[in-house]
Amino acid sequence: MSWITKGENRSEVMAILPDLASRFDCLYERLWQLPQIPATTLELCRLRLAQLHGSEADWQREEQPIAMARRAALPRWPEADAFTAAERTCLEFTETYAMDAQAITDEQAAAVVQHHGEDGLVALVEALGILDGMTRLSLLWQLPTRADTQGGITK
Amino acid sequence: MTTKARVSPPDNPTGNIIRDSNLGLVPETLESYMALNRAVWEDGPLSAAEVEMARLRNARKVNCVFCKSVRYDLAIEAGLTEDKVSQINDQHPSSTLNSREKLILAYTDQYLGDPGAISDSLKNQLLATFTPQELVHLSIAVAVFNGFSRCAVALGGMPDELPIMQISIPQ
Repeated sequence: MSWITKGENRSEVMAILPDLASRFDCLYERLWQLPQIPATTLELCRLRLAQLHGSEADWQREEQPIAMARRAALPRWPEADAFTAAERTCLEFTETYAMDAQAITDEQAAAVVQHHGEDGLVALVEALGILDGMTRLSLLWQLPTRADTQGGITK
Repeated sequence: MTTKARVSPPDNPTGNIIRDSNLGLVPETLESYMALNRAVWEDGPLSAAEVEMARLRNARKVNCVFCKSVRYDLAIEAGLTEDKVSQINDQHPSSTLNSREKLILAYTDQYLGDPGAISDSLKNQLLATFTPQELVHLSIAVAVFNGFSRCAVALGGMPDELPIMQISIPQ
């Protein structure tokens, strides 16, 4: 469990502030319904963030179904043929975003716009803000991984 | 950091700082974003002055010029002064800020730096000083503020400097 509460996962920790939790949940659910960016692309970005931050709890989460082969190929996404050009563009943007948002180049941003439009770029950075934030909170709260509890990927 | 805007904001200004920003290009999340932002300020146990200290620490670390220039009026009403704001820097552990304020900045730094490496010492100090509700409030606030500021930075169009401006919570 977390060191702050007895919560075993994000929802259980946030539950001690129900008003804030419900507002967060509402936004989080909407991210996966955005018309500008496919939910599977966001899931790939979320999983890559989990890898980059070293968050096993977030790697084990499943917000959208992704084939195990595609999950396994994520660390070598630039050369793997498991990803589309649009997905690669978003993954490249995500990697720079995770390190330093100031380091994102005009070319990286323009590439996302080329595939998803200007509103798609805004949708992506909005989503990355929440997804990166939740990954950081999993680590900060020291949420347990499934190996600590019952194993497997969680939905 | 680029000063070139990477997207064009909505065409029809409303006078609302968030609706008129690039976030207005994604109406599907706009209301949820604004509701969460309001809840961070209004529905948690920390004072607005304490929330503002975490927001400004994040703004300075991320180097979001827009975020750094803003002061929320309800934080000032709750006692936040420019003297305190001036101490929100890398020397905050040796500042004259009180122990709660220093811990808020330390927790924010941990989130921004290496969240997985939080020490037992810092955890024990936090647990001795704040309620679990206050710590979760602080956590969500920092995550939301960090997401906002990274969004602004990533979309470009940031000037080098802006004057300080006092605002209310966008409704």
